Amino acid sequence: MYVWIWRHLPGNAWVRALISLLLVLAIVYVLFQYVFPWAEPLLPFNDVTVDNGMAVNR
Amino acid sequence: MKQQSESGYDAVARIDDDEPERLTRPRGKIAAAVSLFGELLITLGVLLALFVVYSLWWTNVLADRESKKQGNHVRENWAKGPGALDTKDGIGFLHVPSMKNGEVLVKSGTGSKILNEGVAGFYRAPVKSAMPWDAKGNFTLAAHRDGHGAKFHNIHKVKAGDAVVFETRDTWYVYKVYSELRETSKYNVEVLDPLPKESGAKKPGRFLTLTTCTPVYTSDYRYIVWAELERTEKVDSKRTRPKELS
Repeated sequence: MYVWIWRHLPGNAWVRALISLLLVLAIVYVLFQYVFPWAEPLLPFNDVTVDNGMAVNR
Repeated sequence: MKQQSESGYDAVARIDDDEPERLTRPRGKIAAAVSLFGELLITLGVLLALFVVYSLWWTNVLADRESKKQGNHVRENWAKGPGALDTKDGIGFLHVPSMKNGEVLVKSGTGSKILNEGVAGFYRAPVKSAMPWDAKGNFTLAAHRDGHGAKFHNIHKVKAGDAVVFETRDTWYVYKVYSELRETSKYNVEVLDPLPKESGAKKPGRFLTLTTCTPVYTSDYRYIVWAELERTEKVDSKRTRPKELS
């Protein structure tokens, strides 16, 4: 998978390394900005209130 | 393998075994599949690690920034002089010296949208919170244990006898912790009652209840700390802090 991506990047090794770095940063940005905030409420790690089982989204 | 740079796995697999200059052995479909599976596992691991970084660090950065901004806004409004109680922006600040986390803005509601701003919220449901200035009742608060500001992270360091101070525009409400419940069910809403019997309180009074999740990093149970109002102090022109906070 990663070898395949590396092969299909243009330029020499340095250019490819730079593009790879930018790709990684872009992916991390999308994860932190969109994916994780969406996933977090679905996971049972951060419920802090006592309730009748209906706390989410109040 | 490198010499075959245009062709990918399938082509590599067809390379003649006996070619002398080739260093890597040709790989079959199974080997390629195993390799892909391994890479996916590594990717999953990195993804989970990033999620931990997000939960325990990045949400704190965002929430601290947001709560600081909102806290400053509330203090600016207070400085403008008397006005109506502003429940939307926040009713005051909670100081718990034994938690060593500075001041925590208190806003209305305990939904995740509110609490994720790095503030503490007072309960509107299932049991409506009393206000500190009410003659009787229970002022009930919730905040995050980890992530999103982690305002109640050190709740386990709060012991009986410790001071909890709530600051409003004109009054310091000084509470004293008298009881804690280190682990209880998340359905135990009785802890929010105006007279929280489980705390050992016998007759109605002016109580304060802190709730958050426990153990740390999970939310299997709830951690409860109860305090009772000891005295109030008028805020003077220099906002001199009560002795519990100095």
